[in-house]
Amino acid sequence: MRTRIIAVLVLIIPSWIMIPLEDRIQSENARLNYGTVRVTREMRDSIGQGMAIALLAGFRGVVADFVWIQSQGYFEKREWLRQYRNMEAASLLQPFSTFFWNIGAWHMAWNIGYAVSVDPANFTKAEGIKRQHEWWNKARDFLQRGIENVPSRPDLYYAMGWLYWEKYKDPCNAQTYFHEALEAKGAPMSLDTSFLVIRHMEARAMEKCGDVMGAYEYWKQLWFQDRTKVPEMWGVVEREIKRLEDVLNIPNNKRVFPKNQSKTTSVS
Amino acid sequence: MTEPTQKNIAAAKPKKEWVGFSVRRVATIGENTFTEAVRQKVYNILIVFALVVIASASFFSEFTFSEQLKFIKDFCLGALSVFGTLIAIVGTAQLLPNEVENRTIYTILAKPVRRFEFLLGKYMGSVLLIFVSLVMMSIMFSAALAFKEHRLVSDASRTMGNTSRVEEKQELQQQIQQIRSEVLDPNLVKAVLLIFAKLALLAAITLLISTVSTSMIFNVTVAFMVLIMGHLVGTAREMWSSNTWAKWLLALIPDLGSFNVADNIVLGNAIPWMHVGAVVLYGLVYTACTVAAAHFVFSDREI
Repeated sequence: MRTRIIAVLVLIIPSWIMIPLEDRIQSENARLNYGTVRVTREMRDSIGQGMAIALLAGFRGVVADFVWIQSQGYFEKREWLRQYRNMEAASLLQPFSTFFWNIGAWHMAWNIGYAVSVDPANFTKAEGIKRQHEWWNKARDFLQRGIENVPSRPDLYYAMGWLYWEKYKDPCNAQTYFHEALEAKGAPMSLDTSFLVIRHMEARAMEKCGDVMGAYEYWKQLWFQDRTKVPEMWGVVEREIKRLEDVLNIPNNKRVFPKNQSKTTSVS
Repeated sequence: MTEPTQKNIAAAKPKKEWVGFSVRRVATIGENTFTEAVRQKVYNILIVFALVVIASASFFSEFTFSEQLKFIKDFCLGALSVFGTLIAIVGTAQLLPNEVENRTIYTILAKPVRRFEFLLGKYMGSVLLIFVSLVMMSIMFSAALAFKEHRLVSDASRTMGNTSRVEEKQELQQQIQQIRSEVLDPNLVKAVLLIFAKLALLAAITLLISTVSTSMIFNVTVAFMVLIMGHLVGTAREMWSSNTWAKWLLALIPDLGSFNVADNIVLGNAIPWMHVGAVVLYGLVYTACTVAAAHFVFSDREI
């Protein structure tokens, strides 16, 4: 009996001594944004009993993936609302995954948006366009929620910019989001491909928004960076500078690429 | 004939010889436990099944590259955790009941082997089994990732060779760069390390349960209950954070949810080594206390 009491004490006392360490781990989890997800009734209805049990057993990522894979099946069956519900569930299970917000919004705006616009069930073409716009708005709201959950990652700002650019044909709003993508805490800082792709898009959006001179200056500023890095990216910059110099009638002596000189002798 | 007095009985009893603690004996028992476990059909079936499941993860092919890589990582780390849990619980739950049932425990304890050495050796054998299983599964996981990387990169390179548009080439270049950085993620090691720490703790808990009971089914069932409770403790603590009594009570159950950083590593969140160290320390302390408690219970047990 005495040893059993000792065994119980050996378990209890260190557990209580470790409460501060447990609190520290828990607060660190909260700080790093990977706390637990509460299984609400709606969540359980959405993902099913088996998935809810797996979720409780700590397999959040796997459950989110399976819910996501299910949503692809619904797309093929043209069950858009079910697909939407599953994409919502997956993003709620892993709200810090930019992947679900990003690809989910892309499905809504591009795939579902197009599919509903050519749906034979539409009475008129206008109805198809209206439904397509509704899905674009859903995608925008979905991305907005994603940005609120993960404000530090550039992906979602870039996706939002791309949505405004490509679907809404609104370059001014697109420029704002491309700029936000570059300003985000986790934005690429070095001259790598992703950094240059976002910069290219911001310059294009700036021009379409009406600030042609601003866009020209932007491209020029980009051109005078270290061009030994990512060499395949600079052809576009050169082409755009040349085009804008023509559009803006930049005097030959102020051009980066004077008309009578070749590329190799350009001002650098 | 004289009546046997208390003094005579005490004198007749063989004197208990003091045997010091020996790491070699622990290692021998551990090695033997590991060999026995590896020879069991249950273990072989589990490990083969785990390897097949992990290898099959590379067949997620109808998605974008980032979806495929995320699914492979989630699926494989999930498989590591599930099969590791099964191996840890089932492997440890049968250690003591089997020894008692086969009566081999009498032969071992009749020799100059302390009960603590026997128990620790059994536990070490179990931990070695978990470690070897995790290493095998991790190798298969790396192979699945490398296979997928090779396929995705060669697909992207082929498309790049066929296109003349500069923008498209840039996008593909960016894709290849992203695929490589996602596959060669050193944070995955942290996820596997924490899975190992969790499984070692689970094995210790199962060992403690098996020192109390003689039924393997009971041991397995209770260990699974503790596993589920351990994953719910975090939520319970959040809900009853203002209740001091609940906090003290919940501290008795290890928070197994703390070991689950795999989701976040897959999402690309940076997990500092300090945090990993704190969780490992937490697991180690719980494990040591559980093994010590198992020793106290076992030392008093009638065999």
